[in-house]
Amino acid sequence: MRHNSTAANGIRRDGAVTRRRFLGSGIVAATSAIVAPYVIRSAAAKGETLYINTWGGSWERSASESFFQPFTKATGVEIKTQSPVTFAKLKAEVVTGQYEWDVTTQGQPDCVRALRENLLEPVNYKIVDPAKLSPNAITYNGIASHALGTCLAYRKDRFPNGGPQSWKDFWDIARFPGNRSMYKNAARVLPAALLADGVPRDKLFPLDVDRAFRKLDQIKPHIKVWWQDGSQSEQLLRDNEVDMIQIWNGRAAQLIRQKVPVQLVWRDAEILTVNWIVVRGTPRADLAWKYIQFAHQPELQAKFALTMDYGPANPKAFEYIPEAAAKQLPTWHENEKVAYHPDPEWTGAHMNDIAKRFNAWLVS
Amino acid sequence: MTQAATGTATIGIDRGGTLRAWFLVGPAMLFIGVLFVLPLIRIVVTSVTDPTVSLRNYVEFFSAGLYARVLANTIYTALTVTVCCLLLGYPLAYVIVRRGGTLAVILLLVVGMSFWTSFLVRTYAWMVILGNRGPVVAAFHWFGVDPAPQVLYTRFSSTLGMVHILIPYMVMSLYAAMRKINPDHLRAAASLGASPFQAFRNVYLPLSLPGVVNGCTLVFIICLGFYVTPVLLGGPRDQMIAGLIGEQIQELLEWGLASAMAVVLLATTLALLAIYNRLVGLDKLWG
Repeated sequence: MRHNSTAANGIRRDGAVTRRRFLGSGIVAATSAIVAPYVIRSAAAKGETLYINTWGGSWERSASESFFQPFTKATGVEIKTQSPVTFAKLKAEVVTGQYEWDVTTQGQPDCVRALRENLLEPVNYKIVDPAKLSPNAITYNGIASHALGTCLAYRKDRFPNGGPQSWKDFWDIARFPGNRSMYKNAARVLPAALLADGVPRDKLFPLDVDRAFRKLDQIKPHIKVWWQDGSQSEQLLRDNEVDMIQIWNGRAAQLIRQKVPVQLVWRDAEILTVNWIVVRGTPRADLAWKYIQFAHQPELQAKFALTMDYGPANPKAFEYIPEAAAKQLPTWHENEKVAYHPDPEWTGAHMNDIAKRFNAWLVS
Repeated sequence: MTQAATGTATIGIDRGGTLRAWFLVGPAMLFIGVLFVLPLIRIVVTSVTDPTVSLRNYVEFFSAGLYARVLANTIYTALTVTVCCLLLGYPLAYVIVRRGGTLAVILLLVVGMSFWTSFLVRTYAWMVILGNRGPVVAAFHWFGVDPAPQVLYTRFSSTLGMVHILIPYMVMSLYAAMRKINPDHLRAAASLGASPFQAFRNVYLPLSLPGVVNGCTLVFIICLGFYVTPVLLGGPRDQMIAGLIGEQIQELLEWGLASAMAVVLLATTLALLAIYNRLVGLDKLWG
């Protein structure tokens, strides 16, 4: 009679499937099933994904609807996003050669700063056709995407008799008592201080930094929190942690849409043009430029402007925006009249110094 | 068979000796070496080479009053947090060990769940509780204090958040030490005429001291490196050094200075560990 003994390696002499053998093959099958997607995906997905850096939250949702999904539909290129936007990541990617994302958005002063540190990919004119873009769209190795307003906003329910209408009012603790918050960004805070001190809008730059800090000393004890993240600023105003705040107009508009009693003030606002830029040395630079050119189309810009309330950089987009909505945008002519544009060259050159001084001032 | 019976009193290092030991430890050492030690060396190198090869980052750190003040603030806050954790954690561990039974299980569960909840979630929870719409401010209004004093974004809220997050470490350390204390010692003290308080002070407390030192060291060192909680719960003046390092890296792109600050923080921590080793011995850290 044959002995159906199980040899040391678990295989029975008669070849029947033992428990040990079943488990062994099962593990092999399971492992390959788990690993397979990675292997197969990397083979098929080369060059078909673009990685974009976004500001997250409501900004990313708007951008996804307005730009990313149409791009994927038109070209088949998948877009993966990463947030938040930090200047440091841009430098880190160029220094280490590891590209977590290829495209990002930065205000023009930061683009100047990035240019000085040689972090940007030069515009690829083989893909980008200036004739298809609006005039002056290409600045500082990037293509203008939208205009962002940094304004004063306050809770209407805390100021039933009217709230602050300018930075001077923001500094007026007696007339407008309440908790305050400002953006923890020297380039945004210093001009606001100068405006509160009476400097006319067209004489802001170059900034009188000492004068700005003297003025800031007055308001410092009354600032409850210095926000660093866009969503944080939304939450501060929504939860009434603060009564008035320096906030991006798009975020305030989101709150107003959600029926939070917020009033946005356009006087003394800063209108910053934001560019799409490509990280220097990324392997997907061609795809990146294709995307950026695609995103400049007027209909897409109009859609983004309507959902996020940031002014389109492409003037043709205004043809697709109803006038009622257009009034809320930073690039609406009435709003532009009472606001100021920062000087990208001066700010880009001095950003580091004023940021350092500002951070030291905050902690002291 | 005889090998198994006689030689294996020492764990595994019988035949093949040190070679086998190295083989077993090898992967772990490689892991830590490549992923921890090498980047650490790189940080030290960056601190003396960025932007130029010199010690100017360290000079800047110690000469600008700002950084030294933040470091001092960090150490002071860590001390405060440690003391609070001790004062709150000691009675808790004492009750868990001495009482035993269901109460101990429940308390341990509570401490464990707090420990396993992400610290970020706990920080956000404090933001909600202490915020304008939270129960604390509501309580102030109910007692007629309007406007309520600012609770969030102060030194108090920052310390409170850190204490809440670090208490489980303290309780676990104390629990581990207290468990080893034989209750017969206390009975012996009672039989020799000591009151409960005297028994506690002269017998229990000294025996639990290793646990106390353990817990305090652990909490202090973790607190030195705390980043997220002081940034989210504290005001700008309550900033700890980790937040400052983060700023240097993210906003100012001063990676040389940030590396120098990180090295100073690491050196401070290692110095404290050295003192601890001198007093108690590092092997006591894991019971």
